[in-house]
Amino acid sequence: MAEQQSGNSKAKLTKLIALSSTQNEYTFSNPLEKTVKYKGEKLPVKLYEDPNGFSYILWKNKKYPLEIIEKKQNKYTVMLNGVWHSFTVETPFSLKRKKFLEAQEGVSATVTIEAPMPGKIVEVLVEEGSEIKTGEPVIILEAMKMQNEIASPIDGTIKKIMVRKNDSVMKEDLLIEIDRD
Amino acid sequence: MKIKSILIANRGEIAIRIMQTAREMGIKTYAIKTSKEPGAWYLDEADELIDFTETLNDTPEFLDIERIIAAVKEHKIDAVHPGYGFLAENPVFARRCEEENINFIGPSSEVIYNMGNKTVAKELARKNNVPLLRGSKGTLLNASYAVKMADIIGYPVILKAAAGGGGRGMRVVEKAADVERMYNLASNESAKAFNDPSMFIEKYVRNPRHIEFQIMADKHGNVIHLGERECSIQRKHQKLIEESPSPALDKELRDKMGQAAIAIAKAVGYYSAGTVEFLLDVDRSFYFMEMNTRIQVEHPVTELVTGIDLIEQMIRIAEGEKLPFTQEQIKLKGHAIEFRINAEDVQSGFSPSLGVIEKISWPEGDNIRVDTGVREGSVITPYFDSMIAKLIIYGEDREKALQASSNAIKKFWIKGTKTTLSFCRAVLQNGNFRKGNFDTSFLSSELTIHYHSEPEEEMLAAFFAVYDYARDLEEAEGKVPNTEKGKRITPWLLNKRLR
Repeated sequence: MAEQQSGNSKAKLTKLIALSSTQNEYTFSNPLEKTVKYKGEKLPVKLYEDPNGFSYILWKNKKYPLEIIEKKQNKYTVMLNGVWHSFTVETPFSLKRKKFLEAQEGVSATVTIEAPMPGKIVEVLVEEGSEIKTGEPVIILEAMKMQNEIASPIDGTIKKIMVRKNDSVMKEDLLIEIDRD
Repeated sequence: MKIKSILIANRGEIAIRIMQTAREMGIKTYAIKTSKEPGAWYLDEADELIDFTETLNDTPEFLDIERIIAAVKEHKIDAVHPGYGFLAENPVFARRCEEENINFIGPSSEVIYNMGNKTVAKELARKNNVPLLRGSKGTLLNASYAVKMADIIGYPVILKAAAGGGGRGMRVVEKAADVERMYNLASNESAKAFNDPSMFIEKYVRNPRHIEFQIMADKHGNVIHLGERECSIQRKHQKLIEESPSPALDKELRDKMGQAAIAIAKAVGYYSAGTVEFLLDVDRSFYFMEMNTRIQVEHPVTELVTGIDLIEQMIRIAEGEKLPFTQEQIKLKGHAIEFRINAEDVQSGFSPSLGVIEKISWPEGDNIRVDTGVREGSVITPYFDSMIAKLIIYGEDREKALQASSNAIKKFWIKGTKTTLSFCRAVLQNGNFRKGNFDTSFLSSELTIHYHSEPEEEMLAAFFAVYDYARDLEEAEGKVPNTEKGKRITPWLLNKRLR
């Protein structure tokens, strides 16, 4: 058993995949060797820190400042050159499993609208069961002294309304569920 | 009356900016210390501090008129510079200064009052033959009156709060069915934000440019303009990039708009620095919007193309001096662009990004100016606005200024908070922006992705995540010595080992 486990770990080390939130897959066959294969070219990368405390990655004679701004289990958010990128780091096996599970779920028929920022519900403009078109306002949320209309991202039918007028909501609180047409 | 001391009733970069000029003029500066940012940089730049760290009431420190007036009298300070925001356009504060014989570095309280009320300001423009958008003569009685007016003016129309500003209490309406709902939204918003629900309505210009003219006027009736600023790159009516001159203006149009701006300033009896805002339509017709009776955030671009220190002129005008130049002597030379660097997450709809600025690498060079109130260790608090710096670039012409801007932004790094630098890169990459071909709809229609990243940048970030992960794995297996034991091990790895 012990042997088998160590064998698994070795496999992980030789090949790891970063799956970006933009659905791009980046495979690195041995990341600790610091070489990157990209668009048919295999090139070395250098990682270093300057005396001012900035970390860089050097690639093709260009340096990019970078830092890990969030790290939770295998979920990473990396800030590079002022833009953040989110990834999950997967092994070939875990990626396969993830894809299998996602295929089982299929494309979700229900879309949930979340509060884009903390605030107060000023008005609910729809009722459960009412038809809605893309871009039509469903809720008015007051935040940072602005009244913001929240629009439906899809054509569909209002399935469930989770908030009422004058409710206070936090960022990412669930507001409304809409069934896709 | 020579001014020997100034209280700067403001914070951040504008407080530092005012203190720089005051120091050069041999004027003693006072700043207000608050408990919200007791270690802020602007406090180090002042000659003397006034301590407001003890909270006396619910009024925010920089809005507490009577407390500021009392401090000025106690320390026998000659003058107050309000900067922008806070009390800069509060007629009550200016009047209290007048009553107490404190030299308010700005226009008279009467002018601030008149220009602050948009209905009054528009009436003044109308009387002086400055073009205006068709709209209601005064405030609207109610929503159904708004519908009638909209039918006369023609859609699209915009509903605006009489007391509004900064995009609050404003709604664009495309069709009659929406007028009532939008009227109620905007009116409620204004009632809450400004304690005044009154609204007016006017014709909406679909894709205008936002062009503003810098006015400088003394107390002897001399009024000149210092050219325009192009402020069309905006998000929800918040300016993000400004430049001077505007790529849309030629000498003829500049003279025409400049004269209109001067006419308004003269009509209201203006003195000090002020800004007249216009909308410019594609057919070159322009419309008066409002006058800002203060120094603007974007004043540096005007300083770079005219070579005039606007803060110095404001102080001299307050002392009663005459303008040292005539309109003919004002020459716009070269091109200047300002980028507002805000602590905001561009990738999450420009939401505020709080935190501590861990590291900054500023760009440096002959044609680079940075106005900022932050340094390494500064805290971004939720109490104040999100602007942390202004990067201002000068070039002999627009093309050279753009090139220099791209180079400067490449060398500008901030660690610890998310900033709008990635947005600036995206704008500079845009072909229509580079050609000078844009209007206020730029962010909503042209630049739909508000940040810029090359494909290889995502790949390199991916590599770094995988590299870090692989190192954690190795450490967990004891293959490499773990120098930071406990710090690098994730709970996920720990679970694995326990099994």
